[in-house]
Amino acid sequence: MIKPQSYLNVADNSGARKLMCIRVLGSGSGNIGDTIIAVVKDAIPNMPTKKSDVVRGVIVRTKKGIRRPNGMNIKFDDNAAVIVNKEGNLRGTRVFGPIARELRDRNFTKIISLAPEVL
Amino acid sequence: MVLKTTLCRFSGLRIYPGRGVLFVRTDSQQYLFLSKKTRKMYINRKRPAKLAWTTLYRKQHKKDQVTEVTRRKKRSTNKSAPRSIAGVSMEVINKRRQEKPEVRQASRDAAMREVKERAKKLKAEKASKSAPSKGKAPAQQKAGKVGQGKR
Repeated sequence: MIKPQSYLNVADNSGARKLMCIRVLGSGSGNIGDTIIAVVKDAIPNMPTKKSDVVRGVIVRTKKGIRRPNGMNIKFDDNAAVIVNKEGNLRGTRVFGPIARELRDRNFTKIISLAPEVL
Repeated sequence: MVLKTTLCRFSGLRIYPGRGVLFVRTDSQQYLFLSKKTRKMYINRKRPAKLAWTTLYRKQHKKDQVTEVTRRKKRSTNKSAPRSIAGVSMEVINKRRQEKPEVRQASRDAAMREVKERAKKLKAEKASKSAPSKGKAPAQQKAGKVGQGKR
């Protein structure tokens, strides 16, 4: 349930710490695998991503979670996204934390390959 | 058909297919819960050992052990009866049992004495054989060396 004004953690090393969603592309409320447009609300100093930059992000974890075809729900501890460009390439070089397998179905294989754990 | 079930992390009850919530913490530790109820209980830091309906509580308070006790009683303890063991038949065992301890001690002493005597004899024979051979060996070596030096 990521909507405009939702805050998300950043699950990569692009330099941003907090994102605020300003638009969910394709639907009203975003879940894992959806692309959002966001504002960097907090950033680590001396990194390529600055505060108040407008960026694209892919949601990788949500508290609401997703439902698998076998009936099981997967829920995470936080809402998190990684920052990408228009072509879908990652701005950072690493991805942190567990990530759901559903991203592969949305053709975000680069995020999957960098993730430390895919569930 | 056998249904594949897993166990709830909080209550210990079975999770049948189609149910369950997999909660994944940011340090990628996984918790499998049966329902929203157990998930909320975990998040509210309730302890399953204090709730009477969890299997952990029932185990601690020995609620399900009635069946186990009856099972233990049914098991009959087999007493080991004397029977023939590999190479030794029943008759020999019985004979040995009925012998008086003095007789057994005497026979054992006799056997020991015999063995010792045999060992002594062997030693004596060895000593007598090795003594003459020792004297000859060094003389031969000396002779060989002298011959090499001359050439």
